[in-house]
Amino acid sequence: MKENCGDIMRISLDLELKDMPGQLIGALEPISEFGANVISIVHIREEERVRSGKTHVHFVVDVESIDVIERIATELGSRDIKIVKLGEAIRKRRVGVLIIGHVVDTDLRDTIDRINELSGVMVSDMSLSMPKPEKESSALFDIELAEKANQKDVLDRLCEIAREKNLEVIRSLEV
Amino acid sequence: MKIQIIGFGVIGQGFLRVLLKKKEELEMAGEDIKIVSITDISGTAYNDKGIDFEKALETVKNSGRIIDYPEARKISGLEAIEEIDADLVLELTPSNIKTGEPGLSHMLAAMKAGKHLVTSNKAPLALKFKKLVETAEKNGVEFRYEATVGGAMPIINLARETLSADRILSIEGILNGTTNYILTRMTQEGAEFEHVLKEAQQLGYAETDPTYDIGGIDTASKLVILANALMGMNATYKDVKTHGITRITPEAIKLARESGYVIKLIGEVKNGILEVAPRLVQVSHPLNVGGALNVAMLTCDIAGEITVAGKGAGAIETNSAILSDIISITGRR
Repeated sequence: MKENCGDIMRISLDLELKDMPGQLIGALEPISEFGANVISIVHIREEERVRSGKTHVHFVVDVESIDVIERIATELGSRDIKIVKLGEAIRKRRVGVLIIGHVVDTDLRDTIDRINELSGVMVSDMSLSMPKPEKESSALFDIELAEKANQKDVLDRLCEIAREKNLEVIRSLEV
Repeated sequence: MKIQIIGFGVIGQGFLRVLLKKKEELEMAGEDIKIVSITDISGTAYNDKGIDFEKALETVKNSGRIIDYPEARKISGLEAIEEIDADLVLELTPSNIKTGEPGLSHMLAAMKAGKHLVTSNKAPLALKFKKLVETAEKNGVEFRYEATVGGAMPIINLARETLSADRILSIEGILNGTTNYILTRMTQEGAEFEHVLKEAQQLGYAETDPTYDIGGIDTASKLVILANALMGMNATYKDVKTHGITRITPEAIKLARESGYVIKLIGEVKNGILEVAPRLVQVSHPLNVGGALNVAMLTCDIAGEITVAGKGAGAIETNSAILSDIISITGRR
């Protein structure tokens, strides 16, 4: 069972690793151990660095607080891995919204698009449950709200969609 | 303290049973509580020296009507309030959210007659809270209603007395035991809503007409009382955006669970907005209580978040709140 809600920070880190086998695993271990969620990894191989036996790897991770990054940095340091660049933390909130009704038949893609239209709002994940065709389905959206997102707009948009499509919208307490 | 009971159903009869149970403790504490009249739809039993509790309970058990108690008269609740000498009226008639009657008329009459008022009847407060409070103040009587919200769960007196230094910024909670029982069973067993509702009715957790519970009306009434009593609002039942639980499915509950949530019917008052709706509550959240329990979280400006939980209904449990209100009044005399 995952817990998929609350405030999160998205942050990028550029790490300098020795260009040899096993280094990437050595960098990933503390990232995983301290609970950061890896969003992307880009391995940047530049000729000049490779000649000097180094390579850069660009990570984007989600963490619950800046403390987590500090703990990761300390552990990386002990493994002789340098953070050469730390991006600005982008704060987001993750909230859950459950929709009950004929969610697929009422154009699920349209429902998601209309939520994503809102500034700073993104449906980042979705689970769907479809029992028998005549019964109502359920979809649970994980929605990321950037700091600039207007919570009232999100609520109004959800109410509008619910009214038009005869859907039951169940929000998490954070919304 | 001479008390009149208006309404002698489950809660009224439970009150007498609690007084019998607590007889010695009340005597040792110097509490002299005398029930001088009991009124139900059939009439009023009256004795200025005090009604015999066991006889009253036996009468109603046998015939279902208080008029069959010796010395009973065919007078209504309003007539009993006007004619009988008493210090306090305990108003326990059924809640009618459309009109608030007959409870509203009983309450106003009692206070205008200079009698203190204690009640578990929500509807009059959800419709005319301000008028009731003003009538109490104008007539210099106490008006207490802890039993209208949360049954045995202490919330109104907790906030007003123990948290008196705090300003309440928001309130959210599970205020209806029937819907909590249904949603808990659906979560635990993966059962369909209709099936669990039927069982709840058979077990006495839900009424024959469960609309007030599953439609969110009961929660909405209680939310209005809390908003007015604890946050100084002037809301009525019509101000609450209300959704019930009838569309919740086992599949929805399972999806929620896989993402770390349970579904609960939550009443919330925040930023001047009152809403009752099913909400996703994180499994680890203090508001995730099961069975038929009630729970409320108050967000206070100094104390932060305070959470209370307890049994929200039941003849004996609700009377914990009623007796506590009566003792508070006798203590102030």
